[in-house]
Amino acid sequence: MSAPVTEVVRAGAAPGEGGAPPTRAPAAGKGRVWIAAGGLLKLVGRNVALFIFLTLVILASLFVENFAALDNAEVILKQSAIPAIAVIGMTLVLMTGGIDLSLGYVVGLASIVSGIMANTWLWPAPAVLAAILVLGLAVGLCNGLITQFMRVPAFIATLGAGYVLYGLAQIVSQGSIINRLPKGFLAIGRTPMFGLPSAVFLALAVAVVFHVLISRTIFGRQLKAFGFGARAAVLSGVPGARINVSVYALCSTLAALCGLLFTVRVNAAQPNMGGGVFTFEVVTAAIVGGTSLFGGVGSVGNSILGVLSIKIIENCINLLGVSYHLYLAVQGAIILLAIILGNLTNRRA
Amino acid sequence: MTRATWRKPANGRSDIVNIVSAARRGLAILIPVAAFLALGSRVPHFLDLSNLLNVVRQSSITGICAVGMTFVIVIKGIDLSLAGLLAFCPMISGVLMLAGVDPPASMAAGMLAGIAMGLFNGLMVSRLTVPAFITTLVVGQISQGLALTINGGSSIGAFPDSFVFIGNGAIGGIPLSDLLLLAFLALGFFIERLTPLGNHIYALGGNETVLRQEGLSAARLQFFVFGFSGFCAAVSGLLLSAQLDTVQPTQGDAYQLDAIAACIIGGVDLAGGRGSVPMAVIGALIIGCLRNVLDLLGIHPFMQNVFIGSIIIVIVYLSGVIRRHGELATRGTL
Repeated sequence: MSAPVTEVVRAGAAPGEGGAPPTRAPAAGKGRVWIAAGGLLKLVGRNVALFIFLTLVILASLFVENFAALDNAEVILKQSAIPAIAVIGMTLVLMTGGIDLSLGYVVGLASIVSGIMANTWLWPAPAVLAAILVLGLAVGLCNGLITQFMRVPAFIATLGAGYVLYGLAQIVSQGSIINRLPKGFLAIGRTPMFGLPSAVFLALAVAVVFHVLISRTIFGRQLKAFGFGARAAVLSGVPGARINVSVYALCSTLAALCGLLFTVRVNAAQPNMGGGVFTFEVVTAAIVGGTSLFGGVGSVGNSILGVLSIKIIENCINLLGVSYHLYLAVQGAIILLAIILGNLTNRRA
Repeated sequence: MTRATWRKPANGRSDIVNIVSAARRGLAILIPVAAFLALGSRVPHFLDLSNLLNVVRQSSITGICAVGMTFVIVIKGIDLSLAGLLAFCPMISGVLMLAGVDPPASMAAGMLAGIAMGLFNGLMVSRLTVPAFITTLVVGQISQGLALTINGGSSIGAFPDSFVFIGNGAIGGIPLSDLLLLAFLALGFFIERLTPLGNHIYALGGNETVLRQEGLSAARLQFFVFGFSGFCAAVSGLLLSAQLDTVQPTQGDAYQLDAIAACIIGGVDLAGGRGSVPMAVIGALIIGCLRNVLDLLGIHPFMQNVFIGSIIIVIVYLSGVIRRHGELATRGTL
C-alpha cells in the first residue's frame, strides 16, 4: 500500500475524508491522542508489509523457543529464496489486475523436464538452465496471449492451463521421480557462497533486477498506470497488450526457474512439485506484501517481506510441533486478514 | 441461452441476433447428441444400460456442484472453494459418524459447515468487494487445510450402512445418486424459473443497475448464491464419500475443474447473466461421458485433464466471440 501514486489517487477520490478526526478536534487533549494514533496508523498503513514482518519476528522471538538463532534465520532464508523468485512474477501479474493460477504447475513441469534434460539427455547445466527459461517463457506467452487476445479471463485461462501443464508433467515423467542428478546441474543452486547456497544470491539478483524494472523504468511506470486503469492508460499511449502479455511471460519464466531450483534443492525431479499449494503460498505472500488484487499497487521489496513473513509462520509451526497441515489453513486466515486490513486502511486513507 | 430467447424474440433485435442465438441453442443440443451417438457406435460397451447408469452416477457429483456453480457464474462470480469443501464437509460428518453421532445429524453438520463457508464467501464478495475467485480460493484452501488437520492428513472410512446406502443403493433399479442429481436439478430449475429470486439473480448478473432501480439488495442475493453453492458442494462431497465409503482429505481436487467445465460446456457465460441449470447438468453429463469414454479407451486421467483444461479455454473464447458478435449485431454495426 506504500506506492506514492496510491496516496495521490486515493486522496483525490475521497477529498476531505483523510485526517478527518484531527481537524474536527483541534487543540483538545483528546485530539492530540487522535493525531498520534492517526499518525501511527498512517505510518503502519504505508508500511504494512514491514510492520507485519517486524511484528512476526518480535512475537516469534519472544514466544517460540529456538526461533531467535542464527542457524534458524539461515533456514528461513534458504526456504524463502525460491518462493521469493516466484512472488516477483506473481506481483507483476497481480499489478495488472490479473492472476496466474498456473504458476505452481509450471514449477512441476519445469522440475521434471530439467531432470530429464540433466539426467537422461546429459545436457550441461547452462543448457538446461537456458532451456528451462525458454520453456517458462513459452508457457507464459501462451497464458498472456490467451488472456490478451482471446479475451479469456485470467483466472480461467491460467486455471485451464494449469491442468494442462499438470497433465503434461505427469505424462512426461511417466509417473516416476528422477533422483541423483549430476553434480554440475546441482551446482546451479547449491554452490556455497558466504555460508549460504547460491540459490539465495540468485534470488537476490532477480529481486534487484525486477525492483529496478518496476520502480526505475518506463515499463514499470506503464505497468502501474495500466493496473490502475487499463482503458485510461491505453488511451494515453501505454502499450497495454504488450504489458499484459509480458507480465505473464515473465511470471512463468520465473516460475520455471523456481522449478529448476527446487529440483536442485531436493535433488529430485518430480512432476508433483509446486502445484496448487505453491501457487497459493505465492499469492498469499504477494498479498501480505501489500500487492493489490485490483491492480496498480505492488513492490518487489514488500512482496519479498511477504514471503519472509509467511515462511516465519511456517517455521514457527514447525518449531512448535503443530501439525504441518494446519499451515494451509493458517495461510488462508492470513490472506483474509491481509485483505480485510487492506480494505480498512484503504477506506481510512 | 438468454432468458429472452425462451420467449418470442424481443422487438428491436435484428434477425442476425435471433439466428445467432437460435444457432447457439441448436448447436448446444445437437453437438452433444451427435457426439454421444458417434461415441456409442465406436466405443464398445458405452451404450450398455449398466454403463450409462454408471456414467450418470459418476456425473452426479459434478452435476450437483454445477447446479450451485451455475448461479455463482450467472452473477459473474466463480466458486473455487469446491475442491476444499468437497473434502471438508464430509470429513466433519465422517468424524462425527465414527464418534457415534447418528448419520442424519452428522450429515446435517457437514451441510451446515458447507453453507457457513459459502455464506462467508458471500460476505467477502458483497461487503468487502473482494473478487470472488480470490475469496473462494482462500476459503477452499482453508477448508482443505482443516480437512487435512482434522484427521492428521489420513482418510477415514467404514461408515454406518445407512450412509453408504445413499451412495450405492438403488430404488427400483435407479441408483440413489442419480435420483439425488435429479432432485437438485429440479431444485435449481425451480429457483431459476419459478421464483422471483431466480429473476433477481439473472438481473444481478445481466444488468445490476436495473436491480438497484428496483430497490433490491445485491448483497442478499450474493449471500444466497454463494451459500447455495456451499450447500451443493457439501451435499456432493457427502455423496462422494458415501459412494466410496471413505473420506479422503484431498478427494475434492478432481471435481473443481469438472464443475466449472460442466457449466461452461452447458453454455453458462462467464460474463454473467446467461446460463441455465438444466444445461449445466447436461454439461456435467457430457463430461461424465467424455471421461467414461476416455477410460474405456484406456486413456490416462492426466491426459483427460489436459483435454478438459483445453476445452474450457476454447469454449470460453468461443462464447466470448459469439457474445461480442451478438452485441455488434444488436448495435446495428454488423
